[in-house]
Amino acid sequence: MATQTATADRPKQDLTVAQKIQKLRELYADAPEIGRAALKNGLPMLTQELAAAPRAQTAGRIGARQGKVSELTVFLPFAQGGAKRLRGLLQLLEGNFRAADAVGTVHDMRFVFLDNDTKLLFATAYDGDFDPYIDDFGTKIPNAMDLWLSNCEGYPGIRSPSVKDWIAKHQIAAEAWYVNSPNLTAPETQRLERVGKAVEEFLDKLQ
Amino acid sequence: MLDLREIQATVLRLRPAPYFGTHVLLRVDDVRAGRELLRRLAPHVDSAGDWWDARNAWLSVGISYAGLQALGVRPDSLESFPETFRVGMAARARELRDAGANVPKTWDKPFGTGHAHIALSAFSDSEEKWHRVLAMAREQYQGFSGVSLLSSQDFGAQPGDLNPLGYKDGIDQPAIEGSGVEPIPGQGRPIKAGEFILGYPGEAGVPLPMPQPDILGRNGTFVGLRKYQSRVGAFNRFLRAHGSTEEERELLAAKLVGRWRSGAPLTLAPNVDDPALGADPRRNNDFDYSKDTHGLRAPFGCHIRRMNPRDTQLTRLTDVNIHRLIRRGTTYGPPYDPNALSEADDEVPRGAYFLFISAKAMATMEFLQQEWINDGDFIGVGSERDPIIGLQEEGATFTIPKEPVRRRLHGIETFNVLRGGEYFFMPSLSGLNWIASLSD
Repeated sequence: MATQTATADRPKQDLTVAQKIQKLRELYADAPEIGRAALKNGLPMLTQELAAAPRAQTAGRIGARQGKVSELTVFLPFAQGGAKRLRGLLQLLEGNFRAADAVGTVHDMRFVFLDNDTKLLFATAYDGDFDPYIDDFGTKIPNAMDLWLSNCEGYPGIRSPSVKDWIAKHQIAAEAWYVNSPNLTAPETQRLERVGKAVEEFLDKLQ
Repeated sequence: MLDLREIQATVLRLRPAPYFGTHVLLRVDDVRAGRELLRRLAPHVDSAGDWWDARNAWLSVGISYAGLQALGVRPDSLESFPETFRVGMAARARELRDAGANVPKTWDKPFGTGHAHIALSAFSDSEEKWHRVLAMAREQYQGFSGVSLLSSQDFGAQPGDLNPLGYKDGIDQPAIEGSGVEPIPGQGRPIKAGEFILGYPGEAGVPLPMPQPDILGRNGTFVGLRKYQSRVGAFNRFLRAHGSTEEERELLAAKLVGRWRSGAPLTLAPNVDDPALGADPRRNNDFDYSKDTHGLRAPFGCHIRRMNPRDTQLTRLTDVNIHRLIRRGTTYGPPYDPNALSEADDEVPRGAYFLFISAKAMATMEFLQQEWINDGDFIGVGSERDPIIGLQEEGATFTIPKEPVRRRLHGIETFNVLRGGEYFFMPSLSGLNWIASLSD
């Protein structure tokens, strides 16, 4: 299992573009030919990226964030029989996640079963910081959370005061994180959809 | 039922009207002296046994993490306190969004220095009783070697008990289950006591983690103390820039808060102030937002709708009952001056000390600062911030829903600047005596 790396602890990179390029050359010195060629030929775009202001931020205690959107990646060991139950549950749900709709901050979720059904990789993009709404899950959607997470080893229950620590313990900060529209939260996206539709209707009537 | 005789009075007792008082911050330089001070103070710290009766002046005592250390509380006990409390408010500036003008390095001393060990507050409904209780408290700490006085701030005594921006405040407080008093109309159902006092089940049905040993944690709670300075000039300039008549300005002032200055809520008095309504505690909070789903009366982004959205449809799954705080606002400095317009007026020391009380005050304050105060997405107003206590950025706006089109005001500034803050643990009376009688 990979070790946790909080992005907040990374040393600040106060290098010039030339220094960054030099560093890349050193890193890629022992790369396969295809990689070395890519570095050489890709320098124009790389130079722009290296010169741009940093966009990476942190999502509170752990995890990466760009603008308003954060990533959460957890590796959870399955409890006895947990993989079978969760797979069955997910198959029967056929992509309907009412609790996630209700939460409002969730952009996407993926459930990946790894290592011969012994571990769950759960990855999601969501708005804001990690901590604020976990308590709300405990009082508003405890069953949806427990139905899912009780399949994982050591899960204390969503109402338990230790649940935030349990999640953080299994979380692995993404090494890098990219968001296409970093300022669009899930509610804002839905609002813009409604506004866009209303504008089209308005224009239709003007024709 | 709550063990009211163990809980400090300030947790449940409402601020009287009128009110007078003083916040004193002390540093413990010698462990034995610190314990002796607590031993002397403890008999004068009031319990909530008759919290509804505010006729006698009362004292409360809070102890910071540095204070618990200075008082020689043992490491295993210290470790049982939440991390957010241990590192202190200044160290949580990122999570509290205390940036820019609110950043800890600009705070007034002794805030953020780690020296504020004991917070002693005296409250009273009369000037005479206030002086008496304060004199008694001073006898305990003055000229007492091993304990240093860091600051002493008098508060209250404003005409009409208005806050520094000229509003009646402190109206909406959460009702607490088992506190022995019927909720006031509009308070909503009583919230489980464990949200506010340690040792009782909270809204999730389980008690929150409690500092150990039991006698120290049980019936205690946490207090976030925040000192704000009101930029009265900036506030008045904003009103004048967007309102050409007195009526327009007063309506705008009401739209920012969700209540007229009298306390009358816009939801019940949408067009003109109703001072009789504002003055009536059984009516001035008796409303929900079911008939104002578009924010045409109380704008979504107004202060009171943010701080207690009640039944407002929020964009995020939220249990409104787990993000409430008991708050005791205490105003200092000269009263509100509607004609103060200059930038010099912004620097006049006047504002409020707030006590935010909850069994998880640190987590709740971070939630409020991140979600309900310094963002607007939760209630559908994008990245707009609380017009009264939010930290405004360049180009900030405030939107007032209106038919046929909303009115968006540009150029809103930070009207209340944070001048300091600390977290304190407010132990039960037994907890206080337990600390006082620690031995090496």
